[in-house]
Amino acid sequence: MLLIHCPYCDETLPEAEFTYAGQAHVVRPADPSGESDADWEAFLFLRDNAKGPHFERWRHLHGCGRFFNAVRDTVSDRFLTTYEAGLPRPDLSTLTEDQP
Amino acid sequence: MSSHRVAGKGRIDTTRPVSFTFDGRRYSGAAGDTVASALLAHGVHLMGRSFKYHRPRGPVTAGSEEPNALIGTRRGPGRFEPNTRATVQEIWQGLETTSQNKYPSLKWDVGAVNDAGYMLFSAGFYYKTFMWPKSFWDKVYEPFIRAAAGLGVSPSEDDPDRYASRNMHCDVLVVGAGPTGLAAAHSAALAGAKVVLVDEHAEMGGALLSDPDVQIDGAGAWTWLASRLAELRALGVRTMTRTTAIGYYHQNLVGLCEKLTDHLPDLPADTPRERMWRVRAKRVVLAQGALEKPLVFHGNDRPGVMLAGSAQTYLNRFGVLVGKAPVVLTSHDSAWFAAFDLADAGAKVQAIVDTRDSVRDDLRAGASARGIEVRLSHTATGTSGRLRVKSLRVAPLRADQVGAATEIACDAVLMSGGWTPSLHLFSHTKGSLTWDDTQTTFLPKDTPEDCHIAGASRGLWGYEAALVDGDKAGREAAQALGLKIAAGRFEVAQDRTGSGVSHRELPSDRSPARSKAFVDFQNDVTAKDLRLAVREGMRSIEHVKRYTTNGMATDQGKMSNINGLNIAADALGKPQPQVGLTTFRPPYTPTTFGCFAGYHRGSHFEVTRKTPIDGWAEAHGAAFEPVGQWRRAWYFPQPGESMDDAVRRECRATRESVGIFDASTLGKIEVMGPGAVEFMNRMYTNPWTKLGIGRCRYGLLLGDDGYIRDDGVIGRLGQDRFHVTTTTGGAARVLNTMEDYLQTEWPDLDVWLTSTTEQWATVALNGPNAAALLAPLVEGVTLSDDDFPHMSCAECTVAGMPARLFRISFTGEVGFEVNVPAPMGLRLWELLWERGRQYGITPYGTEAMHVLRAEKGYIIVGQDTDGTVTPYDTGMSWAIGKKKPDFVGMRGLARPDLQAPGRKQLVGLLSEDRSKLEEGAQIVFDPNQPVPMKMVGHVTSSYDVGTSGRPIALALVEGGHDRMGEIVHIPMPDRTIAAKITPTVFVDPDNARLKL
Amino acid sequence: MNAPVSALTPGPLVETDVVRVSLEAPRGRLSLRARGELAPFDVALGLTLPRKIGQRAAGDGIEALCLGPDEWMIHAPEAQVGALLSACATLYERHPHSLVDVSGRETTYVVDGPGALDLLSVGCPRDLDRILPGEGRRTVFDGVTVILWRDGETTARLDVWHSFAPYLSELLETGSRELAADAAAAR
Ligand SMILES: [Zn+2]
Repeated sequence: MLLIHCPYCDETLPEAEFTYAGQAHVVRPADPSGESDADWEAFLFLRDNAKGPHFERWRHLHGCGRFFNAVRDTVSDRFLTTYEAGLPRPDLSTLTEDQP
Repeated sequence: MSSHRVAGKGRIDTTRPVSFTFDGRRYSGAAGDTVASALLAHGVHLMGRSFKYHRPRGPVTAGSEEPNALIGTRRGPGRFEPNTRATVQEIWQGLETTSQNKYPSLKWDVGAVNDAGYMLFSAGFYYKTFMWPKSFWDKVYEPFIRAAAGLGVSPSEDDPDRYASRNMHCDVLVVGAGPTGLAAAHSAALAGAKVVLVDEHAEMGGALLSDPDVQIDGAGAWTWLASRLAELRALGVRTMTRTTAIGYYHQNLVGLCEKLTDHLPDLPADTPRERMWRVRAKRVVLAQGALEKPLVFHGNDRPGVMLAGSAQTYLNRFGVLVGKAPVVLTSHDSAWFAAFDLADAGAKVQAIVDTRDSVRDDLRAGASARGIEVRLSHTATGTSGRLRVKSLRVAPLRADQVGAATEIACDAVLMSGGWTPSLHLFSHTKGSLTWDDTQTTFLPKDTPEDCHIAGASRGLWGYEAALVDGDKAGREAAQALGLKIAAGRFEVAQDRTGSGVSHRELPSDRSPARSKAFVDFQNDVTAKDLRLAVREGMRSIEHVKRYTTNGMATDQGKMSNINGLNIAADALGKPQPQVGLTTFRPPYTPTTFGCFAGYHRGSHFEVTRKTPIDGWAEAHGAAFEPVGQWRRAWYFPQPGESMDDAVRRECRATRESVGIFDASTLGKIEVMGPGAVEFMNRMYTNPWTKLGIGRCRYGLLLGDDGYIRDDGVIGRLGQDRFHVTTTTGGAARVLNTMEDYLQTEWPDLDVWLTSTTEQWATVALNGPNAAALLAPLVEGVTLSDDDFPHMSCAECTVAGMPARLFRISFTGEVGFEVNVPAPMGLRLWELLWERGRQYGITPYGTEAMHVLRAEKGYIIVGQDTDGTVTPYDTGMSWAIGKKKPDFVGMRGLARPDLQAPGRKQLVGLLSEDRSKLEEGAQIVFDPNQPVPMKMVGHVTSSYDVGTSGRPIALALVEGGHDRMGEIVHIPMPDRTIAAKITPTVFVDPDNARLKL
Repeated sequence: MNAPVSALTPGPLVETDVVRVSLEAPRGRLSLRARGELAPFDVALGLTLPRKIGQRAAGDGIEALCLGPDEWMIHAPEAQVGALLSACATLYERHPHSLVDVSGRETTYVVDGPGALDLLSVGCPRDLDRILPGEGRRTVFDGVTVILWRDGETTARLDVWHSFAPYLSELLETGSRELAADAAAAR
């Protein structure tokens, strides 16, 4: 069971309080009806399968209830960082395995 | 005094005799004995038979790594457990134990013919033998394998014991309370850390319990141990015995299995048998010590042959001489000390046979002082004896040439092939290992966890070394937490240091083909099997393991891994690290299912939610069904009624007068804020802007892929306030989805969601008399078609209770859903029940609800839809707000595949022979086509207990909307049923019954 | 099967030498969601809403716990709920928010005694020592979302939706007896 830092609560807590919510930074277009079939397909279905750092979303379901973003290394299964929803991707080169 | 008990030795309490039985025979022991030590005290070595060859076996160890002495233990009805290690099970007054893998008796066993046929049962036997002919599988092979398979006898009754679990957090967890662990716990605790120290044995001390003559800080080992333990407790260290660290998981989560009652004669009330601890430690110190390796030679499995260190443990800890005339066979210094201890306790040690050509002078002097014959540069080539070893055959070695053999008469062989550091938990951390050629073993290298490993488990030997290293590990753990402590000091006298060499199978003058030199005792894997596996093409140690089953027994290779690796590496002509080690996985020792399940059994098996009206339903005989986490009243059978009878009666009563239904489980969400209408427009397919306050609408929720996800009736209670309902099973999911869109896609909207599922108890009244029953109780609303038409909602008072009243119908009858604060729900229900008697009010369950709604063609999301169904497929294009700029799923619905012709569409089905179709049955257009037929859809709902006069069904059928009146076919195992495609509404298609 | 919801009446549930668990009498409960300027709500509620998740504040008979960046649970006497709803309703035009009466949604256990935190550790995976007396959190107990109010070193309250109460009561009872047996064995 992992430990996850909630950026809203600013606490590192057991995974049991959280739920996974898919890949991060997949933005729903402002005007979906203007999207081509290919673009819409990519939005709906195409996801990364990263070996290494993966941008993903979690929700602190049994806590503050907020969705937030995280970078987790899929090889070591460690979180490199977590950050609030809506913030830009962090620079991977600055991340170490010691999350706050 | 038992025949092999030594007066004045051991830590058992001989003033507290304990009697128990083994295979029906009564034995006496003392408080503190294990089954193995108590039997050995009576000279009993034969405790079981091996799995494959049924060879007689005795204990080879004194701990949890024991491969041979597996027994069944019984404590009255239901409390039987197979495969208990006799070396771990403590005795208590009245304990019943039995040996395993024997028939008809342990001493005379029929299955032992396998042993004579051992040439047949070689490596890969199972893979090679059960190949042909195919017809032999059912009649010959499978019955044979089933009879032979399984270790011990599986318990057949419910387990009456209780199991528990708990979470714990600490600064430093120390695994293993030998000298290393004791030192680590001490320095970490002195530094101020919150420390937990665990050990799988009944008492702490580890090797110190077996080496009382070692002097630490001027005191005997046991005196030092007692004062150190007292000091640890005074420092606030939590000490836990009979507690095994079974697994090391991510980020320093360690699972502990604590055994609480297996050693007690009487079971205390309210104490669980075992408790699983989930410990999250900031730092972990692994101090699991090392495990002694057997030597591999012909006949090394005969009862009476055991590890030298274990014999020393039986003597010093339990006061038992495992043999009065033992011979010691070793390649490591440690066994010399075992020989000395046994000799000092009165045993006539026949010889110390060492494979090495030279040993330390002090050891030779010790042997000489005790008059023990020493044979260096010797190998062992066999043992004699049937149920107990009688002699050891040894021969001198000259440059690997085996010389003339001689027999040494003995009643026990104490062997030592050196020691293997216990790296199991370290390996669980994904820690890397490094091969140490001097010690011929793997040692720990790096770990990604906040973990320290110390003492014998990283290859150190001797008490001073272990204490110093443990102290250092505890200090480093404390330092990592920002705590400071100086290094501890230890004065150790009469230390027992040592070293040794490692072997493959011992050199022998015996033909390798006829040699039974065991590597894995429990699975009967010999050195010959391992070499055969390599000859037959196995290259990786993982393949060798699975082909031979070496290391796959319940000891998980604790005895056999390194010996197996040495032999396989030799056969492959490669160094050991290139052949590799098999992966250690949790649990460290066999662990009961009960311990993993914890509290989650019986009525606490899983989360079960109940409505406020659940107790009434139970008292009125309801049958229940699980829906999501809820248990819901399924139907209310009267005495003598079948389920069909009850549901038919409930349906009829609802259509004819009035039925009452507990709809409290429906999900409810309060949508509130200036952005509420816009949010609803974006979320649901329907338009909401023009929905008036006090009106309701059926809402359909899609995913962005265009498929139906949920539905429910939504009432507008104010300009900025909606009362949303969802399906019972979908409530949490829908709220999560809505929060997701709100928080991450539309943070611009000022709107908030609050779950009110449990704020309201919801009582549904349906039927022609529903309004007459309800109206006298309602204040603030007139229940007429003009004032409160179908699809109205209002906040009002019902029977004096604050209520949200909805006029909606999921049955096709006039219907009301009365929401009152949940604590009032039962009162409202009972009042309606009482006042409804004049109308013959009938409670109905979820089954009747399903039938009534199906007759009206109302879908159930998740039953008539499966995540690939669009609103167009279900004929619900009317629910789509086509003028809206966007809603979740709008773009998805325009995807080419969702627009393509030939999609499966929801239709009604009436079977031609008026039989009830099976839900899930596949549908074909042409019943005469060759198999495999093209399946064009399936039945989603089907009932024959409703009010329409015939069985009805809903189905998804390719192009179904354009096939009204056509006949389709449903092939079943015994026949093919023809059915006609119809519209989905079977009752009151004009909705006349919805009017008052 | 465990007890029905309707059988759970206020009063003691289980009492042992080390811990006592009881069900509180019904009380008023409000879920407040608001963003931006909070001062007007402080005035309307008669307390200063805590701004940090996990912090609590108390006013005249009412207390508030910050559960999320824009979320508070407010406990108040039942009789005060109407007044609080009205007071906040007057703010709605200028300070849009959501205030929902959830008095009927949940029930509260009081866990009290030297074994209180041990009992909670039966179901809570998080480190309870890091919820200080006077704080609170929404967390999980045996798979169920709960709000934990740590009132003192050895006293806590647990708010749960009442459909879960029969299930959780069973574990709280079992756990309390187990802790008492542990304590007896240690003596
Ligand atoms: Zn949080």
